[in-house]
Amino acid sequence: MIMSRNRIALFLSFLSLTLFPAVSWGIVDVTDNLELEGYVKAQNIMRASGLHDGELIQQRNTAQLEGKYYFLEDNKAFGRFSTGPIEEATFTFLARGAYDSVYDIRDSYEDTDDKGKSEYKVREAFVDFLMPPFTLRLGRQQVVWGETDNFRALDVINPLDLSWHWSRESWEDIRIPLWMARGIYDIGKIGPFEESFFELIVIPWDFQPNKVSTDPRHPWAFTGAGLAETANSAIIGDELFDLDLTIRDIRPDRKLRNGQGGFRFKGILGDVGVSLNYFYGISATPGVKVRGDLTQLNLDTQTLSAVVDKVYPRTHVLGLTANYSEDRYTQSVFRLETTLTKGIPVSIAAGAPIGIDSDGDQYDTVRQSVVMLGIDRPTWIKLLNDQRTFFISTQFFWRRYLDHSSFYQGVSSVIPASIGGEVIADRFVSTNTNRLDRDEFVITFSASTSYGRAGRWKPQFVFAYDPRSTGAYNKLVLEYLWTKHIVFKAEQHFYWRESGSEQGPWSLGDLWGEAGNRRNETVFSATFQF
Amino acid sequence: MKLQAKFTNGTHYRRTSPRILMAGVLLWLAAPSYALEDQSYESLMKWIEDSRPGAETVMPGQHLTEKDRQSLLEPLIPHSAWKYYFFDGMEMEIAATGHYPAPDAWGENMASGYKLDEEGTLVGFTGGGFPFSEINSDDPNAAQKVLWNMLWRPGSNDYNMPMVTWLRSEDGSLDREMEYTSVNTTYARGDKSLVPGYEEVKSKKIMEFRSPRDMAGAKNMTIEYVDHYKEDSGWLYMPAQRKPRRTLASERTGEMMGMDMIREDLNGFGGKVYENNWAYLGKRKVLATVNVSDNPEIGGPSLWVPHKTRWEVRDTHVILIEPKAKDHPYSHRIVFIDAETYWTHWMFAFDKEDDQLLRMAQHFLKYSESYATEPATQSSYVKQDFSKNIGHKVFMHLGETDINAKKPHATITHCHVAKRDFTPARAKQFYSLRNMISGRR
Repeated sequence: MIMSRNRIALFLSFLSLTLFPAVSWGIVDVTDNLELEGYVKAQNIMRASGLHDGELIQQRNTAQLEGKYYFLEDNKAFGRFSTGPIEEATFTFLARGAYDSVYDIRDSYEDTDDKGKSEYKVREAFVDFLMPPFTLRLGRQQVVWGETDNFRALDVINPLDLSWHWSRESWEDIRIPLWMARGIYDIGKIGPFEESFFELIVIPWDFQPNKVSTDPRHPWAFTGAGLAETANSAIIGDELFDLDLTIRDIRPDRKLRNGQGGFRFKGILGDVGVSLNYFYGISATPGVKVRGDLTQLNLDTQTLSAVVDKVYPRTHVLGLTANYSEDRYTQSVFRLETTLTKGIPVSIAAGAPIGIDSDGDQYDTVRQSVVMLGIDRPTWIKLLNDQRTFFISTQFFWRRYLDHSSFYQGVSSVIPASIGGEVIADRFVSTNTNRLDRDEFVITFSASTSYGRAGRWKPQFVFAYDPRSTGAYNKLVLEYLWTKHIVFKAEQHFYWRESGSEQGPWSLGDLWGEAGNRRNETVFSATFQF
Repeated sequence: MKLQAKFTNGTHYRRTSPRILMAGVLLWLAAPSYALEDQSYESLMKWIEDSRPGAETVMPGQHLTEKDRQSLLEPLIPHSAWKYYFFDGMEMEIAATGHYPAPDAWGENMASGYKLDEEGTLVGFTGGGFPFSEINSDDPNAAQKVLWNMLWRPGSNDYNMPMVTWLRSEDGSLDREMEYTSVNTTYARGDKSLVPGYEEVKSKKIMEFRSPRDMAGAKNMTIEYVDHYKEDSGWLYMPAQRKPRRTLASERTGEMMGMDMIREDLNGFGGKVYENNWAYLGKRKVLATVNVSDNPEIGGPSLWVPHKTRWEVRDTHVILIEPKAKDHPYSHRIVFIDAETYWTHWMFAFDKEDDQLLRMAQHFLKYSESYATEPATQSSYVKQDFSKNIGHKVFMHLGETDINAKKPHATITHCHVAKRDFTPARAKQFYSLRNMISGRR
């Protein structure tokens, strides 16, 4: 009982700090040196595969608390200890708790394993030291490189949590922070460069892969283009076997030998902002090795016992970025990002020649290049808004497999098992007819502005299109800053394709706009911020 | 005295149209003073042309109210602002017109050899003093020279400035409140730069938002160059993106962040000289909140304007600016710039659609030496040592009101300025792209 009272008192103290801040409705000053901010958010998602159906697939309730403690200022820690060359230091933390009540509301989610139902963790916790011209950030953190928005090229340092709403949330909220050291040495002018600095990142042991749900019972499971089922059968010849699949996750352990790291030099050359980046990492997307040597076919039990290893190859990412503000003719900011990555895992179709699949494990690593050209432009469309410009941002993203083979394959699908043209009930097999194209393209466009006397209505339009598969994605957003604390947001996501049946690599309408797997969504959220 | 000025490109600025003239005559027959609601460009021009009162019309120590409006206030408050500044219960305290010396070494370390080019753009100037010590009304470039003195005035940079901004509707309701801090340093200091090797930089600024939470942690860095033809360089760090983004400086005509001002309105005029035609309209005495004791109380029926605060009669240069761009939202901009200190007191911008008032701004200033006797209020979220302000002999910008007459809506800002001196090494580190690649989250 006493403990309960203490907890209640603690909770009420927290509420009083956050809901009734005395002097500010932004950051809350707990003391002269400690600041708190954060939010509580409820997000509901309705999914409709057609015009006349819909189901609630998410009711995520999130509380986030962020704090900053200024414990070292003017070369003194805690106001008394001299710290020599360290001028300033702060401790920052960001903690998040999330509970998706849809798992308790909907009967159909009752038999899931509760993965994705809740999350409570300190996502970020780091200390910043300022020792001019050197700065150091130590701790669990996010680091973002590159000029590209919402596609992976140089922004690969932190893995992504794609399990609860794919990549459709702010990446700040779905990046998985890692324990690392980030040191930056400010150079300033050197040779032809201005505003230059050198950055070094060391991730000594903390490797984590992208988090993807493949359990079809989860609303945002990644199940490929086929059925939302798990393959339970295999067909060999004309015979149907039970499939007993063992997936061994060969994840790098937390040893220094599995460390990651990289560096970046960034500066202004002429009027062009440029950076040279290198990152020695581990692929956050696993490759799959088929262990033929461990696979057994038991004719007595009519079972195929297959073993696959999820492996995470070493990667080398070399990148170059540039940005340029062209004020005279186009009044646009041009962004460029190019990368060359070695160590991208690919799957190889069964039966590929030994020259393609030398180990016979249907797995290899390849080199891949990316070129992204982006344009940002504040643009007047006075017919739609005569007070404020639209911020228009567009990107052209081109990814190319430098070592390409027609045997490389994309994501597999699950289809009903059938023998001799007859479909067998409740039996599903995995198939893969999805070949990787050597060149992959996607084009994005977004426009946003604000309306209302104080700009509190904030619409946004997003469009992404894959010209090869003709898969597309649209997002319409309207955010309303109702009061100083309360923000409402409504979103509509559409997945559609223009024509054809080819599956592209971007998870757009070619994958989630197809009947049976359509994921058009309506999102409503209410946020209390402080 | 009739205005004879013309734009420096030779064209005369637009005179009163017969239709508006007729309306004016009818108005004059109906009432002895200007119509309160008339906020046209023509009416402000007429107000400027008409009587030019002396400072003796009001006396130090007077507390002026609505009843003093016609006799004392109308000649000293620009006509376009009457609608907002005259209201029941209004009160203005009149102080003696002060003399505000510039910093001790002001003008002693200026580089020579600068000039105005054919566009009226100042070339080769690197600060340290006013570029033009005399303004001659007969000079065809008088307006630009006033403007250049304003842009290079002492005290425009070198501070920590925590601010709070209120966005209010006409009924006084608060639509949005923002807290943010600007830190700003002058690099170009006459015959030397603060940071050797950075002689091309005029000033650098970093501004960071503190609230509301949807903007907290957003910060931008701006580098302004000595070469006026070179656009500013800018980067914006958004916490949601966790990286800086290059920004475009040449779009200056859209409202910023829901506020009732555009970038070109900053300090009366924050655009490019060569993108406009210029005319000098002579000197005009106006009332100005030039040395307020503190951030002024905000009053009026809409809570848009300073109330119960201290005003002085100030001599101002009046300049007329006409944007050359056909798609610019303004037909004309009229700015009243202090003839001694070259700080902007009033700015009025008129809608290209109908020549009616679109936006206006009025600034609140405080002289640094007055902090010795009248310390200002601290901001709610950071405490500063205001005693450091004393001795600089410059003005502190304590805030402004920006009104969009067409919405109608206003943005009122209180600034809490403390002078800050950067060492060259500290400035080099603080105002760096390195400082923009991460933020409070």
